[in-house]
Amino acid sequence: MTVFQFSSPAWMVCPVILPLIAGLFCFLFSHRTFAIALAAALANLLVVCLLTGQLLVFGPMRCHMGGWQPPLGITLRTDGPALLMLLMTAVTGLAITLYAKGYFSYRISDPRRAGRHQRQQRYFWPLWMLLLAGLNGLFLSNDVFNVYVTLELIGISAASLAALSGKPASLLASFRYLLVSLLGSLTYLLGIVFLYRSNGVLDLDLLQNLAANGLGIRTALALMSVGLLLKTALFPLHFWLPPAHANALAPVSAILSALVVKGSFYMLFRFWFETFQSTITLPALNFMGFLGAVAVLWGAVQAIRQHRLKLMVAYSTVSQLGYLFIAFPLAGVDGGIPVWSIVIFMALAHACAKSAMFMAAGTVFLHLGHDRIKDLSGVRASLPITVFAYGIAGVSLMGLPPSGGFVGKWLLLTASLGSSQWWWALVVITGSLLASIYVFRVMSRLFVIPEGFPLKKSEPHFRLLEWPAMVLALISLFLGLAASWPLYILAHGTTTLAKVFAGGLP
Amino acid sequence: MSRTGKNHKRLDGFQRLLLLFVICMVVLLGYIIWSTPGSKPVLTGAVAQMQEYSGVESPVTAVLLNFRGYDTLLEVMVLLLAVIGTWSLTEAFFPVQRSEISPVQMGAVRLLAPVMCLVAAYLVWQGSHLAGGAFQGGAILGAAGVLMLVTELPALRTIPVLPLRIGLVFGPLFFAGIALICLLFTGDLLGYPKGAGGWLILLIETACAISIGLTLALLFAGGRPDKEFIWKNNP
Repeated sequence: MTVFQFSSPAWMVCPVILPLIAGLFCFLFSHRTFAIALAAALANLLVVCLLTGQLLVFGPMRCHMGGWQPPLGITLRTDGPALLMLLMTAVTGLAITLYAKGYFSYRISDPRRAGRHQRQQRYFWPLWMLLLAGLNGLFLSNDVFNVYVTLELIGISAASLAALSGKPASLLASFRYLLVSLLGSLTYLLGIVFLYRSNGVLDLDLLQNLAANGLGIRTALALMSVGLLLKTALFPLHFWLPPAHANALAPVSAILSALVVKGSFYMLFRFWFETFQSTITLPALNFMGFLGAVAVLWGAVQAIRQHRLKLMVAYSTVSQLGYLFIAFPLAGVDGGIPVWSIVIFMALAHACAKSAMFMAAGTVFLHLGHDRIKDLSGVRASLPITVFAYGIAGVSLMGLPPSGGFVGKWLLLTASLGSSQWWWALVVITGSLLASIYVFRVMSRLFVIPEGFPLKKSEPHFRLLEWPAMVLALISLFLGLAASWPLYILAHGTTTLAKVFAGGLP
Repeated sequence: MSRTGKNHKRLDGFQRLLLLFVICMVVLLGYIIWSTPGSKPVLTGAVAQMQEYSGVESPVTAVLLNFRGYDTLLEVMVLLLAVIGTWSLTEAFFPVQRSEISPVQMGAVRLLAPVMCLVAAYLVWQGSHLAGGAFQGGAILGAAGVLMLVTELPALRTIPVLPLRIGLVFGPLFFAGIALICLLFTGDLLGYPKGAGGWLILLIETACAISIGLTLALLFAGGRPDKEFIWKNNP
């Protein structure tokens, strides 16, 4: 059948439909839910690899749902950025699936609260699978209204996941998260109303061709951007993020910090640099860069001030998200600076490093029963792999070579100096220094073993708890060495940025 | 706002500022809507043009279930997600029955519930040519469920969990299954084969209406029906 041919664009629906059906089955059955979820995560990774191969052979592709061409129907499309985000989601998602299995098995093995943890696991799998489907749908979508639907899917499942731990603090934080997320969705929807009123179409390609610099379009873009910024938690709209991410279960924190905020950011970026590029002005770009710079510094300072490990990691997310926005003003300059590559690269590196860090923090929490930073000494003795993973992820967050974070920051620095906007470079360097403070503050405790510290033996379930974090941390480390691969995919997928990275790597 | 009630809190400075900001935004948005011209309806024409190929006569149903069926598939998932999220949070609260159900109430439910099911079925069928469809029919079914829930029928406590789960998943799974089968046969997700669009849409709508009705009623129940709770009433 033609559907199964390598060149068929129909493969594109698999990253959405597979997790969707897996989620339904995970809800229906009470046994073997992990097997279903793992199968879906693996199949998702395989399909995304196939799509990448397709992209490298055939270039960007479109798939019309139901065979209806736009403006009538909905279109999915693959191109470089979309595929890199899909790859990021698939790899991180697989690691998180494995980690979650280890996490729940470990907690259920404790007989005191086994019932509660079994219930949490019962609902974790369908929610996570539907979230995965929503994220993949968002990255593939080429239709503003379809993006809204996927944002709903992501928002509701993410808020439910954040509330899963059931503690009062997490209930409060996730309720606030839900309200913020709904407010963001509605603002986005209001933007679509303006867009549809002034243009009459919803397809992104058509909008790109039609988009004039009218008042209606500008209003629509402003509303949609505010909605997405609220979901991305850019300073000063970040207030909901640290409590929601820090109080969730460890695998959920990893999902929220690594993937969910990237979804809305990705869409924002597409709107600003692809669909509505002609509408964007330099002051707007500078404003976003300014907010990003404040986020970098403010998030890092807050991270340094925290007493709990998970809160520190959550504030570090606020800080790291800022870097993505510093790239905005650098794109407006002449000279074709590859803004896609900077941003996507930073997002990839951050997704791997941050999920590894949240997993490590979760494992430490399980092991000690708390995550107070000043009492973390001696963990290295019983959790060597986890502590090592934390260290490597920290290297990427600080931006030391050869990590992916280093390459991203190096690109930012060269871009800002090359366009003689040195103040952004200053922010990047200061942010990295602050990051090294908050990373080392924890690391110095983790690596020290006080005298007379009792050496515990590792527990049986710990392999699944430790290795996924380690693998992700290593990926984030070696992303810098293999930087030409993702950039090659990017260059293949976007015609406008064909000359991405002709200059070679540092 | 009233300044008489002592318990009634007055707005503080920040809230006043916020109110002013919101009013300014509303005025601004109103001005923008008033001053920008609307575009010619591109989509309305396209829908009318393709209507005969969609298999249904109602343009709304054609858009929802055929032209933009993928959106609707995801929307149905969002509804299911709401139930999963609620179930993950808390158990349904069924108060212990204190007295007999009043015969008037019982009689009303006995009369209304079957009629509502009939109306729901009619609405789903009507969706092919007039206003109606899965969401409308499901809403009526959900209302019937809510009616039975507020009456606290004892029979509701004995519904086992598995049929509820099956009922919830049935519609979305059926929809996704049809979408995949269409993918295999025509090469397009939800690309109905020629001539089959009409009855496939009716089947999908029927399946989804049942699940949507159950979803809405269970959202009203407000939590998962735990075995220990359903089987024996906690004091």
